[in-house]
Amino acid sequence: MSLPRSNYDPRRVCLNPFPNFTLGKHRRAIGIYLAGGLFALANWTFLDAAILSAHAHSPYDEPQIPPPVHVAFVDWVPGICSLLGMIIVNLIDKDRVRGEEGFGDSRAVWRARLFLFIGFALMAGGLAGSVALLVLKYILHEYPDQYTYYGYANVSQNVALMLSAIVLWISQSVGSEYEYNLSI
Amino acid sequence: MAWHAGIKTVILLSFVLAVGFLMIILSCALFANWLPLLVALIFVLAPLPNAVFSHCGADDFSTDYEGSGPADLGRFITSTIVVTGFALPLVLAHSEVIKPAACGMSIVGGSLVYGTILAYTAAFKQEDSEYD
Repeated sequence: MSLPRSNYDPRRVCLNPFPNFTLGKHRRAIGIYLAGGLFALANWTFLDAAILSAHAHSPYDEPQIPPPVHVAFVDWVPGICSLLGMIIVNLIDKDRVRGEEGFGDSRAVWRARLFLFIGFALMAGGLAGSVALLVLKYILHEYPDQYTYYGYANVSQNVALMLSAIVLWISQSVGSEYEYNLSI
Repeated sequence: MAWHAGIKTVILLSFVLAVGFLMIILSCALFANWLPLLVALIFVLAPLPNAVFSHCGADDFSTDYEGSGPADLGRFITSTIVVTGFALPLVLAHSEVIKPAACGMSIVGGSLVYGTILAYTAAFKQEDSEYD
């Protein structure tokens, strides 16, 4: 009895919201705000290292020694990989990946899963690349802490980008689960 | 009664907004470095994506709690810009472009400006929902 009614008049739910539905709404909004904040935090962490490197000067007690290392284009690559992976993962329709809705085209599900795999592989590759960069470019050369900070900023950028993608994914799936429960 | 309360709220909020802008401009003028003025611009622009996208994708079949892609995009961009507003003075102070005092003043001023915008929006929303 309730199945055709809730499908027929969805505005009733809008007019008389139950408490758990408003909680779901706020949880979704909070999750998306959190994801956006993490995204900005990630990029500003790395930009901080880049700006710091551009303004780096030689130590005050030894003015002849230039800074031994700078943030180069190599340092930008893991972040760009993570960013591409995040865009790909979030552009995919999640019902299409689940494949239970009876879209009829099994190749579409296969292709969606392939692109999802590519997106997650890009994000994991960015994280692994940033760790490799930290070890190979900064730790093995035994630079002072002031310069090793560039590598740590890169790793934390990629970790925060991955966290942002995960939070965005979870908050959007929570919303669709509420919708799903309602329509049944 | 409610009218007077509204007027008091508006006057209080405008004072807070003026104090916020004053702190940002002081943080620029005292140290003769006008980069922190970007913070005011960023915080003024912060609610814009939310406002633009909030009416997108709302048709007869979508409900309030469901949320749509454009509204989510607006929320994402808004929180990105807000975090940018807090991070920009910190980054500038870290790389010694601006003084730490200017960084603190511009952050306080920017959060006052953004808090004013948020409080004003919330006050408007309450008045609107009474007529629903």
